[in-house]
Order: sequence, then C-alpha cells, then structure tokens
Amino acid sequence: MAAPETGREPVVSMRDIVKIYPDGTVALRGVNLDIYPGEVLGLLGENGAGKTTLMKILAGFLKPTSGYILLRGRRVVWHSAAEALRHGIGMVHQHLSLVPVFTAYENIILGLPSRMLAGARQRIEKLMEETGLEVPLDEVVELLSFGEQQRVEILRMLFRNVDVLILDEPTTNLTPNETETLFNAIRKLKQQGKSIVFITHKLREVLEITDRIVVMRRGRVVGELPRAMADPRLLARMMVGREVLMRVEKPPAKPGEVVLRVENLWVKRDIGTWGVRGVSFEIRAGEIFGIAGVEGNGQAELVEAITGLRRVERGKIYFLGRDVTNLGPAELYRMGMAHVPEDRRSTGLIMDMNVVENSILGLHRWERFLRNKWGMLNWAAAEEHAKELVKKYEIAAPGLYSPVKYLSGGNQQKLLLGREISKNPKLIVAAQPTRGLDVAATEYVRRMLVALRNQGHAVLLVSSDTDEVMQLSDRIAVMYRGRFVVVTRPEEVTEEKLGLYMGGIEQA
Amino acid sequence: MTAGNSLLERLRRDPRMHEAVLRFGESIIALVIGLTIGAVILWVSGYSPGEAYYYLFQSSLLDTYGLTSTLSFATPVLLTGLTFAIGARAGLFNIGAEGQLYMGALGATLLAWLAMHVPLLDSPLGTLVGLLLGAALGAGLALIAAMLRVYRGVHEVVSTIMLNWIAYWLVYYLQSQKLYWPKDPTKSIPVPPGARLPLLLPGTELSASFLIAIGFTVFTYYLLWHMVHGYELRASGLSPRAARYAGIDPNRSIMLAFVLGGVAAGLAGAGEVMGRPPHYAITSGLSNLVNMGFDGITVALIGANHPLGMIPAAIFIGALNAGSRAMQAFAGVPLEMVRIVEGVIIIALAVPGILHMIEEYLRRKRELREIAAKEAEASQAG
Repeated sequence: MAAPETGREPVVSMRDIVKIYPDGTVALRGVNLDIYPGEVLGLLGENGAGKTTLMKILAGFLKPTSGYILLRGRRVVWHSAAEALRHGIGMVHQHLSLVPVFTAYENIILGLPSRMLAGARQRIEKLMEETGLEVPLDEVVELLSFGEQQRVEILRMLFRNVDVLILDEPTTNLTPNETETLFNAIRKLKQQGKSIVFITHKLREVLEITDRIVVMRRGRVVGELPRAMADPRLLARMMVGREVLMRVEKPPAKPGEVVLRVENLWVKRDIGTWGVRGVSFEIRAGEIFGIAGVEGNGQAELVEAITGLRRVERGKIYFLGRDVTNLGPAELYRMGMAHVPEDRRSTGLIMDMNVVENSILGLHRWERFLRNKWGMLNWAAAEEHAKELVKKYEIAAPGLYSPVKYLSGGNQQKLLLGREISKNPKLIVAAQPTRGLDVAATEYVRRMLVALRNQGHAVLLVSSDTDEVMQLSDRIAVMYRGRFVVVTRPEEVTEEKLGLYMGGIEQA
Repeated sequence: MTAGNSLLERLRRDPRMHEAVLRFGESIIALVIGLTIGAVILWVSGYSPGEAYYYLFQSSLLDTYGLTSTLSFATPVLLTGLTFAIGARAGLFNIGAEGQLYMGALGATLLAWLAMHVPLLDSPLGTLVGLLLGAALGAGLALIAAMLRVYRGVHEVVSTIMLNWIAYWLVYYLQSQKLYWPKDPTKSIPVPPGARLPLLLPGTELSASFLIAIGFTVFTYYLLWHMVHGYELRASGLSPRAARYAGIDPNRSIMLAFVLGGVAAGLAGAGEVMGRPPHYAITSGLSNLVNMGFDGITVALIGANHPLGMIPAAIFIGALNAGSRAMQAFAGVPLEMVRIVEGVIIIALAVPGILHMIEEYLRRKRELREIAAKEAEASQAG
C-alpha cells in the first residue's frame, strides 16, 4: 500500500470499523485506516461517505458498532472524547464548540486542572508564535470572526499536546487569507511531527496541503494514494465512483409544456446568509431535471423555497403558469405539487403515527378524507387509501395501524413516495430520494421516478449522488455556492467532469 | 357487515386495541404493586394496612355516599387532567391548569355577584352564564401563555407557573376584598340556588358538573382522533417539522391546545363553585380549590394522556381523596399517608413505561449488532 515513509509505525490504526446509527443508517461498512506521525492525511469523499463519522469514532465522540482502534500498537477503547483527548487525539468540528461569552484564553484552558495552568499564558503565546495562529486572547469569543474562533479551538487542542489533530471541513467558512494562515500552521505542525487529518470534499485543497489522500464512498475506503500520484480528474472519478446498480431503462423524453419556472431566485439559510443566489430554470412535463452538487451548496434551501417551506427573498416561482412565490405548502399540494423531502424520518413522515395516519399527511384536509365541513375525518376512506398504497407499492408493514417507525427505511420511502404520487401531481420534487436505502429499494425508487416522467409528470430530482443524477435526468444542473455553474445534458458530460464542477474547479 | 361484527373484527386485528388492553392490564398490576408497597409503608409506620385500606375503599367505592363523593372528587381532576393531556398531545408541558381553574371559579363567582343585581340570573340561564364566564376566564389565562409561547418563544413551564401565582393572588384578593359574602367574609358571594348545577342524587355531593366533565372528555377524545383539528394538533406535537411540511401551522395547534385546556380547567373551577355543596363559593385562601390543577397532571400521567384512559384514572384519584377522610377518621391514618400511597402507586404505574423503553433499547441494540456483523463479513469478502 501507499505508506509514505516505510519503516515508521503508524501512530493510529483503525481496524474493521463498522458504524450503524440507532435509526438503522449504515454509516461505515468495515473501514481500515492508518495515520502516520508527521503527515497530513486528506480524507476525501462526498457528503454521507462516512468521513466525519470515522473521525468522530477516532476522537471518542462516537462508539463504533464493531471494530477497534490501535494507538501506537495498543488497543484502546474510548469512553469519551475527553479520554481520547488525554491520549493525544483531538478533533475540531465543523461547528465549533466554544463558550461564546468566555474569552479566547478562558476557552483554551477550560477544563484543565489548575496544576497545569502555571505559565499557561506564556505557553499559549509561544504556541501562537510558532504556528502563526494569532488570536486576541482577552477578547470574548463571540466577538471574534469565525476564522479566529477556529484558531482558538485549534490552540485548545495544541495546548493539550495532541499528536493527532483532526480538522473537519476547516475551510468551509474561511476567507482565502484565513485559509492560507491555517495551511501555514498545518505545515509547521507537520514539521513538529504531529499528524493532521484534513476532512474535505474540496479537491483543490486536498491537493495543496496533504501528503496522502484516502478517498471514501458510501461507508467504505475506495482508494488511497500519495499526493504525488493524485490529480483532480482521478480523485473526482474515485469520489463519485460507479455503482454496481442496474441501469434504469429510459425511453427518450417527450417534454411538454412548462410546469415550473424559477426566475432569479434568492433564498437565505437559517443563519441569515444567502443559500440560493440567483437561480433560474424551467422544468417541462415529462422530463426529469436533476440538480447535482455537494450538499450544503444551496440545494436544500432551493427545494424548500419551491415547496413553500422557506421564504423567497427575491425572484419569482411560477407553477403551472401561476405566480406561487411564497405560497404555503397546503395550497401548492392542492395545485398539484408533491414533495419527497430529504429527511423522511423527521419531515416526510411522523414516526409515531401509524401507516393510515401517515398516508393522509398533507392530504388530510382533502375532501375525500373529510366527512363534513366541520372537519370530521373519514377514517374509512383513509384506511382504504392506505390499503391501496400498501398494495400498489408493495409496502411491507406489520400492519396498517402500526407506527411507521417499525417499517424499514425502504418501506418508509415507498409509503412516502406512494402518498406523494397519490396526489396525482403535475410536479414531483424529490430530494435525496434514495439516501440510506438498500440496493433493491434504491432501484425501486429510481424506476418509479422514471415511470412518473414517462407518464408525463415533471420531476425535480436533487441528489448528491452523481451517478443517480446522471442516470435519471434529462437535463442536469450542478449547484455550487448557491448558483448553477452549468446546465447540461447527461450525454454531453462525463461523471468526471461533473465531479470537477461540483468541486468548484471547472467553470462553465 | 354488522356493527357488532366489525367491532369484534377490529378488536382482533387492530394493534391499537391490543395495545389499549395491554396498557390497562399493566395499570392494574401497577396498582396492585403500589397498594402492596403502600401497605408495607403503613405497616412499618405502625398503622394497620388492612383496616386503613378497608376504610379507604369501603367509604369511597362501596356505599352510595362514598361513591358519589368519589365521583365528585374525580370531576375537577378529570378536567384539569385534560388540560395537561391536550397540551402534551400538542408537544406542550402545560402546567397552568391550577391557575386556569382559579379563574374558572372566579367566573362562577362573578355570576353570583351579577345575580345579586340581576335576579333573572338566579335560574338555569345563570348556570349557563357562569359556566361560560368560567370557561372564558380559564381560556383567557391560557391564551396569555399561548401567545407568549407563539410570539415571544417563552417556554410554557415558565409562563404557566408564573400565571398560576398571578391567578392565585388575583382571586385571593377579589375573594377577600371585593367579592366576599357580607354574612360570612371567609367565603365569596355564593351562587344563588336557582343558578347552581343540579345535584344528580339529592343529599350527595355529586352534581351535574360530573356530566360536564365526562362530556368534555368524550369530546376531547373525538376531537383528537376523529377530527382534522385534532389530527393536526397531534401531528404538530409529534413532529413540528413534519407538520409544517404537511401544510399545518404548528402555532395554531399550540393555540388550540392552550385554549381548549383553559376551557377545561375553567369549567372545572366553575363547576366546583356552582356544583359543590356546601359552599357554592370560593373559600378563604382558595382552600376548596388548591391543588386540583396539579392533581390533574397525576390523572393525565396515569391515563397516559388518553382522554378515555383518564376517566378510570380520575375516579381512582377521586377515590383516594374521598376515602382518605374515612381512613383518617376511622383508622387514624393521617391524610399525608394517603399522599404517600398515591405517590407510590404513581411510580409503580411509570414502571411499565420504563420497562418498554429498556426492552426497545435492547432490541434495537441486538438488531444493530446483527447488521454490523453482516456488514463486516461482506466487507471482508469484498
């Protein structure tokens, strides 16, 4: 394998790590990883590939479902992140964990016993000088910029003398200058013999700063190579990969009239910054419009704006020729929109409600499910409806009246998809529709989307699974930083090229 | 298909029915365990458990007067239990029933005051006006908490605790300073005979307010499970995100839950004043009302926030309250002992729920292990 300096022992080895979350999501499917002293290891992969989960296990934030960790050849089990930190493994998360009203200095020493505080200030100042990670020590943290806050967190780790420093997507919110400072610090730490794990999905950065690159996809390590042998094309191909799934048969599209038109749409994120920054497109009946891209580039906000769940700040949305900008979901559903949301467990379904109750969620005020204008529910009609869905979509459920939390992920998604199709919609917005599903269910959902398109429904597919977008879409847009960097057709682009667009390297 | 046939059919195939039967059985077992532990405590404290329990139940369930007195004790706590349960179904922890009940009692007292000036109100019309005033004042107090929650994000635990005290001192002040009865200033102006809720059995304490409570309970059940508003309320409580996705405004559900709960507690307070002999008034220090709101939480807990399950729960709490008098009088067991037994039973009732959680956790964990083993195998093969 590609061990960088042979003869040196790895400081950390992870063996056969499997992680399954309590909700049944398989995050890691047996991962082996070695980290050597004095190297910068790039951990590359799409969202959901398992990078963060793997490192959270190493840093003691999560327990592996099976598998083990060797620290300098000795098997260790972490009971807490603090324990891992005491043994020299520290992680800086994407979302920082500082006390906002404490000063930088207080945050750095927080939690240390007083005997370790003698001369702490001098030692921190020395650390800042050595690494170039300067912060105003007596300033309250919430008044610092994100970049400075991140430095505080890194100093916090260094002050505890970590040997392995894990940085999770550290450049996401940094300015170019701040990124440069961070990279310089990383280089200096490397010279001191520390190991740095750099989690990212940005190809450019991984090529700039790392010594060795490990690529993950769908919970597995799919490749490992020294930086010298890597180039963007190769990495993009490894990251996106090719699935062993069967191809979905797709006759040529017969696009009809325009169903959805989005004009120069601007939408904010929860935190108030722009998530969607001027997006325009059209979808016609009988076509699948796919939006590819690494998650977090505004796709979620775009979907929520179109489906009436998030405010449109600027721009217009026309659905079936009518201006529906900032119309609520109930009215949109009545007009013929269906939404398969990204998170079926917390948004699309209600886990503690039963199959019948879930089968009318969003349709519950439709006339067929009401007995009169006073709002009495027609449970007989609802039961009939649920029965039809179960039969038509082959949903395996313990019973019509069991809570949907007892259904498998695939069957939950079938119920959700079936319910949305039962609205007989003109447009189906499907966000990450196959995430976390097994192979059979994935194929089922994909076939279903193509069948809908063939019947003349318009489909908006948002997926961070590039292969899925390539296979299903008639037209593809790649979203990067709130904008479409390219709109193209699957036959006019390669997956490798898409990967480059997604990484922000290629501009159209 | 005949109706009887379909009911039997449902019992057999509807897992919700199994669930209900199972839960009821568990509650009975918990009750027995609770009473047993209570007996041990009584015995250790030097009382005779047999004698104590004999008087407790003999005087609360086994004679007409005791039974009616049990039901009249059950009435207000069933209603205030609904306040908590409706809130819980909407995802709230509404402990404001206590204050809303005081406001309901104030509504009935206002009617009594009005009737002094308007003789027309010394009639069933007055009964109606008193109930409406009580419901409106109860709902009004709840509405403050609802608006604080919806518009200012104030957590309902904080607001309802404070509103409980505001209501307490407000009603305390009005009873003692403004609405007191000149003939006996330790109570407020009593409701005139014509406007009182009629007694269901002459010579007992059981009034028509019991029927109001049962009616409201059935209505709540129907609303929550058979009407679209209740469906939306439960959806909001279980998952506000999913509710929004389904075009439901969770804030409307919160409003509805608070107001409906306020009406229930308000009716409870009004019913106590208008239907409970001998006072038909608020007594000094609100002594005939205190704790009826909080006891409702107990009823909701025992009844698992299900309106129909809360009827037996309320009768049980009512029986403890009614029987404790005889237990004190004839077996010499102090009132506080009854509270201890009550507490033990409530803890025993919570045990099945905890066992279910542990069971679920272990099942989940076993499943994960199995999947993990398969994945590891597959990865080694691949």
